[in-house]
Amino acid sequence: MPALEVKNVSKSYGGFTALNGVNLTVATGEIRALIGPNGAGKSTLIDVISGRADNWTGEVRLFDRDISRLAASRRRLIGVSRSFQRTSIFPNLTVRCQLRLAAERVGDRDGDSILEEFGLAALADRNGGAIAYGDQRRLDLALALVGRPPLLLLDEPAAGLSLEESKHLAAHLRTLAQRWNVTVLLVEHDMEVVFSIADQITVLQLGTVLAQGVADDIRRNRSVVEAYLGSMA
Amino acid sequence: MSAGRFLAWVVLASIGPAIAALTTSALAQSLIAQATFSAMFALGVGLLLRQNGMVSFGHAAFFGLPGYMLGALLPLNLLPVEVMICATVVLIGILAFIIGLVIVRAHGIAFGMLTLAVGQAVYEAATRLRGLTGGNDGLSLRLPKHLFGLSLKTLQQPAGMLTVSWLVMVAMLAIVSVFAASRFGILTEAIRDNEERARFLGYRTLLPRAAVLGLSAAVTAVGGVMFALYNAFISPDNVHWTASGSALIMAILGGSGAPWGPVAGAFVYFFLKESLDSFTTHWLSIIGAALIIITVVFPAGLAGLVPWAIALRQREAHIARA
Amino acid sequence: MAIQLLNGLVYGALLFTVASGLALMFGLRRIVNFAHGSLYMLGAYIGYSASKLFGFWIGLIAAGACLAALGILLDGAVFRPLHRRGPLTTLLVTFGLALIAEDLVLAVWGKDTLSLAAPSVLARELSLFGTRFPAYRLMMIAFGAIAAIALLLWLKGTRVGLFVRAASYDPVVSAVQGINTDRVSALVVAVSAALAGMSGVVAAPLLSLAPSMASDILVDSFIVVVVGGLGSVGGAFITSLVLGQINVLGVVFMPELTALLPFFLMIAVLVWKPAGLAGERV
Repeated sequence: MPALEVKNVSKSYGGFTALNGVNLTVATGEIRALIGPNGAGKSTLIDVISGRADNWTGEVRLFDRDISRLAASRRRLIGVSRSFQRTSIFPNLTVRCQLRLAAERVGDRDGDSILEEFGLAALADRNGGAIAYGDQRRLDLALALVGRPPLLLLDEPAAGLSLEESKHLAAHLRTLAQRWNVTVLLVEHDMEVVFSIADQITVLQLGTVLAQGVADDIRRNRSVVEAYLGSMA
Repeated sequence: MSAGRFLAWVVLASIGPAIAALTTSALAQSLIAQATFSAMFALGVGLLLRQNGMVSFGHAAFFGLPGYMLGALLPLNLLPVEVMICATVVLIGILAFIIGLVIVRAHGIAFGMLTLAVGQAVYEAATRLRGLTGGNDGLSLRLPKHLFGLSLKTLQQPAGMLTVSWLVMVAMLAIVSVFAASRFGILTEAIRDNEERARFLGYRTLLPRAAVLGLSAAVTAVGGVMFALYNAFISPDNVHWTASGSALIMAILGGSGAPWGPVAGAFVYFFLKESLDSFTTHWLSIIGAALIIITVVFPAGLAGLVPWAIALRQREAHIARA
Repeated sequence: MAIQLLNGLVYGALLFTVASGLALMFGLRRIVNFAHGSLYMLGAYIGYSASKLFGFWIGLIAAGACLAALGILLDGAVFRPLHRRGPLTTLLVTFGLALIAEDLVLAVWGKDTLSLAAPSVLARELSLFGTRFPAYRLMMIAFGAIAAIALLLWLKGTRVGLFVRAASYDPVVSAVQGINTDRVSALVVAVSAALAGMSGVVAAPLLSLAPSMASDILVDSFIVVVVGGLGSVGGAFITSLVLGQINVLGVVFMPELTALLPFFLMIAVLVWKPAGLAGERV
């Protein structure tokens, strides 16, 4: 059974069509990357799956259950979690406190082990707003991963990180996903990160799926190169 | 609770009765009693500010309504007076919770504007519905001779009310402190910090925010009950938005970082006003300027002075050691 | 009945000229100006004193000019420096300013109610729909209509107007696209303040002057911008007109509850549409 199925999802705001009949299936345990030029609809698709977007059409299924109409908070409880492109943490709560808050809600008794996992133990008693940006990004990720959600949506997890940090993040995500059996759908501009961790890659362009396949296929796909990779290289 | 902390609460609770016993000036006692009413008023406003991050320009409605409700309901003799008094506080909490369900959904900063509208609606009702409220003349409360085992005379004497109201105030402060430290209190702080993130951690955010408004209104209403019992009179002035504005200033002055901030702010405000009133007629300008300065330069208020002083001493000790 | 509609239009027009400024400032900077009612009040009192010396029309223009200058000062001294501190700081600081403004009015003009006579040209009644209607009230409607048309032309027809609309649609995106909020905001705040001040003068012959006039108009203006949709001048326009009618009809049909009707309207709209009638549109 696939972990995630997106069926014929469309969304427009104003006169602008952000998603136009997108279909996507992600197998359980897979790490899928979503790439495409700016405005392709990648973040909008994450918003639709996580419950942040409204006024869209189509269907989203999690382990064959229709979650299209569920509120965002409900989706987290049944296993859809996400991080944010602009780091989203609690600036006035301590790192430990916010991770516990996240853990309690999903019935994870061991809220403090995640501190170790993300190298945040030394910062546990500092406020979220008082730690370095790279640490905040890890905290954001830790908040999303508390309780080992079956499906994790990541919106540009490497944005603003140094080369070194990005590499470390990619390796860490890879091992965690395997160890905790988390299915990952990530939007990422950093192709190093994408090619190093994604099992499969989906390319979006102007709200539609342009191509899909393993890294080598995508690298060789001419339309993808023309539409996207070419302009980046 | 640690022994030191327990002792601190006991000391705090005994200050009021001690003042009542040791001072002889009825005027001073009356002033302090009035200050405790305002302190509870501000405590409610500060709770909202701390747990919801929202300012209210309409809390006077929750402060004044208990008086009006008691004034209108007591002559009907429906229930024992003590039950009635407790019921008004609960009812106001529920009323505020329901209003909260509507107005906390609006854009964050719109909340302040909406509370002003809610407060002024109550003010308008108080002035227009003459049959029920006595209009601009106000409404006298017909209270029984004994309440909660105390004679009404005791409650309406400065020393007696000071003692009772002080203890009630400390109890309210304790409730607010316990709430702030509770899981639910921390959740509401998280929602204040970043509502969207809280939703994506699986929490529903509307009910907790409305619940904070409800609790905050109930705390303010307790102050209102004390006020009404002491004066046995309520008038539209008590529900006017300027009363809400004063309570907001007390909360900002004291600082909402710690639960006790608004209480301290209320006392400072009260004594500042009393001492300045004999010098100048420009109280409005003074308090307006003070509000601006505190907001811009020292947003943590009086409550921010304590951690600041501790940090300063630690730094000095550090320098001394080095 | 037609006369009642006209009376409703009088108050609706007044509300619009005050509330549109609030909406503009929110749209541009995401701030709420608690001192907006005070600008209206200061305009009225300045206009009152100036009219004593130079007549009503000069008084109106003088109030507009003074308030425009005050608006530029407000933008430069308060809104701009506090921009990074978030909307709560600005709300509290403008609350402090409102207190100071009230004290100023009390000190200079006293606490008694003052009245300003309508200009002699308009101090008569016209025959309308078979009854008599004060000419001055028609002028108030005209003032609101001119302000609405001028704002519409400004917002739709000029570069600055485009900036304002873009900023109120999405401040982050428009900042990214190089729209300089600071450059247009002095102008926007000056226009808003001048509109509020002139509204105060225009309202004075009808409503008279008292220090409480600031909060009276502020409460209704807040309802207008929240119900209309924060930052939406169009929403404020429609809501002002509706509120004006409700006010008048209320006086006719349920005098005791009139003052509560705007509040009920507000609650009803917010239950239905939490972001207000216009949502996020201008």
